[in-house]
Amino acid sequence: MTKNAQTRVEFDEHGNRTTYDEIEVGRDLGSLEWVITEQDIEKQCSIDEDFHPWFAFDIQEDVGASESQWAGIIAPPQIQYRPPRWLLSRTYNIRGVFYKWDFENLKEIRPGETITVTGRILDKWIDREREFMSYEAEGRDERGDIVFWTTRVHALDVLKRDTPRAGAGEDSGIKQEKI
Amino acid sequence: MAIITKDTPIGTELPVFARRFRNEMFAMGDVKTIHNDDVAAQREGLPRAVAVGPQVAALIFRMMRTCFEEGWIVGGKAALTFRRPVWSNDFVATRGVITDIEVEGGKVRIICNVWIERADSEKAIVGTCSALVPGS
Repeated sequence: MTKNAQTRVEFDEHGNRTTYDEIEVGRDLGSLEWVITEQDIEKQCSIDEDFHPWFAFDIQEDVGASESQWAGIIAPPQIQYRPPRWLLSRTYNIRGVFYKWDFENLKEIRPGETITVTGRILDKWIDREREFMSYEAEGRDERGDIVFWTTRVHALDVLKRDTPRAGAGEDSGIKQEKI
Repeated sequence: MAIITKDTPIGTELPVFARRFRNEMFAMGDVKTIHNDDVAAQREGLPRAVAVGPQVAALIFRMMRTCFEEGWIVGGKAALTFRRPVWSNDFVATRGVITDIEVEGGKVRIICNVWIERADSEKAIVGTCSALVPGS
């Protein structure tokens, strides 16, 4: 452990870390519009090592996709992880660690379609001297149909809540909004 | 074609999928994160760099998609807890077992206990996943 590990991170390149008291239960996180590209699907398949003809990314040779019941390329459903996280990060600067992930895949996700993601803060609590928060989000397609819903729980810090905040962190929960 | 059908009995084990992570898999250009840099991880109170949770969980989703195909793409559900870290150079395997079967509309929902095991046999991710299969 480094000497700095005895303090919780106070700030990073995106500003002060959100504190437990600053999290407003029930807060509307707003919305974002998300359009997936074939390149996003290719990247998601690569990072997850999850390949299937349905996710075929070479649209010049999309034999797998054109022969499937989806009538075109679809994305692996887990591609929905990041947009709700981006939405959270537009309001709160939370690094922490991911603790729980619930979701349902209600419709296939297709490239080129605009998905509107909305969300809100559900709860916050303290357990074993660690601070937690939860939020929910859903994505709707251009017809207004729900494509996915999700709830997530993050621990605000690895360290206990009585560990003082001081100094800078190398990492941030706020990342570029891209797959 | 899906491996699992409405007639697959409770207690059936799902096929095992495994993966070796490498630190460089979590590279983000020059950006140091808790997933690719030990110092950045230690600054947050972790002993060393940890794998990206959703990237680890994706092994479960691969298992579910393989077993249920379109019934996972539309109708798949997950409830996962990340209870232990997976280090950025860990070897992990995913396992699952069918625990329940429920009728849902004209289809059948197959419910599974799922988990990710590290090389030291510690269960890093645990939870349930379910998917739909044709009812007739």
